[in-house]
Amino acid sequence: MKKNVDVSIPLGPVHPCWKEPVRLKCETSGERVLRTEVELGYMKKGIERIMRGRPWQEVMFLAERVCGICSVVHNMVFIEAMEGISGIAVPPRAAYLRVIVNELDRVASHILANFSYCYTIEHETLGMYLLNVRETVLDNLERITGSRINTAYMIPGGVRFDLTEADKAALLADLVKVEADMHRYVRMFETGPLIALRSKGIGIMSRERAIEAHAVGPTARASGLPESDLRLCHPTYQKLGFTPISRTEGDNFARIMIRFQEVFQSIDLIRKCVDRLGEGDSIRGGGFCGAGEITYRGEAPRGELTYYIKSDEYGRILDIAIRTPSIMNIEACAHYMITDATSVADVTSTFISSDPCIACNER
Amino acid sequence: MKYLYEKDLRQMKYNILTSTRHDMVVRQIARRLGIGEQKMRMILIRTFDMSLLENLEARYEMGLLHADTDDPVARKLGCELFTDFIPLVAPEAMQSIYEDVRTHIASGTQENSAIDEGLARIREVIR
Repeated sequence: MKKNVDVSIPLGPVHPCWKEPVRLKCETSGERVLRTEVELGYMKKGIERIMRGRPWQEVMFLAERVCGICSVVHNMVFIEAMEGISGIAVPPRAAYLRVIVNELDRVASHILANFSYCYTIEHETLGMYLLNVRETVLDNLERITGSRINTAYMIPGGVRFDLTEADKAALLADLVKVEADMHRYVRMFETGPLIALRSKGIGIMSRERAIEAHAVGPTARASGLPESDLRLCHPTYQKLGFTPISRTEGDNFARIMIRFQEVFQSIDLIRKCVDRLGEGDSIRGGGFCGAGEITYRGEAPRGELTYYIKSDEYGRILDIAIRTPSIMNIEACAHYMITDATSVADVTSTFISSDPCIACNER
Repeated sequence: MKYLYEKDLRQMKYNILTSTRHDMVVRQIARRLGIGEQKMRMILIRTFDMSLLENLEARYEMGLLHADTDDPVARKLGCELFTDFIPLVAPEAMQSIYEDVRTHIASGTQENSAIDEGLARIREVIR
């Protein structure tokens, strides 16, 4: 005779589907998940404490080490915050180069997130295809910045390196290849009947719940919150005529599809930026970082990234607080998406669909 | 039963709450509810898991923006703020407190003193 048993199921801290250590404690009644608790603390870096008292020249390198996946946007938000404090202007060419690198990083991050999801739902073939495409994207990041991950590309008033004509041509050629491959893989994902079984109608988060938990990024946009995309407020993106993508289903499928759609959107943005690079020659405007206080937000691949910075007249960081998007998304996932899941097997895939970054969360 | 693999998370939760931005939010919530700061930290640590404590600042920010926008009494009591956005009070308990405050106001009690009474009941519930 079947019987419903109340059990507490711990997932992690070491789990084959997790990229980083985290522990989920699910209280279940039979297969239904009643409540989930998140236990962090397995990879606390204390990076905010390390940053305090250091000059901005050191902190910019530390900032991009908050996250190993979306390091470019940490660099970008920190530098733009320092520019905001000190009133430093950025030449148009440098602004477009920043967007190119940031969007390449977004593409790499979204592809990695979707790889993780495919791996979790046991579609390893599609996962490996996606990782292969990601390599091409990272090669382009390396070609432009000299590094695949911790690029330190942006500096106050500009960027470190220009994009040569040869690199520009190689980038555009690679984008054509990436776009063609991604169209094929998205079709595989969209039309796969087994993928639909594991993804459609699973881990639903309503718009109201997304607002309550301040869900951000593709997680929020999959629940019908297009206004959560902070690229709408960024001057360079405004010049490019950026419009956010959103869906209303709020399930695992919608979150993954939003990332796929944003990959194509990023490719378009990169092409537009490359077209407009001729608007100026200078890549460095110069300037000094001084005293001030600012709360600056930018759109990371996972959503809203906030830096609160207080600096002295020499550009030393007196106080800093970083609010990464994973803080909000992991919480929303644990308390809204996973709770009431009808099967424990859906917990891992739902958790991964919110693209959790534990390194970001614990800073 | 105490399991070997269950860690005592209080110190880590306390560290989360005493970071720059979280500390400001905890002080604001404590002031609003009329509870001591250290007592407030203890209540939060006891009630919430680590991810919700990390997200406390963002939830409070959204609560100030979106909670009870059309009802000033509910806004002063924090009806949605302390049930949906920062779930310190059960919705049924908050509903009962809100209805009692409304009844007091309707029967001629001054709005501020009725709200103070409601806040005192909220304090009782969360302690």
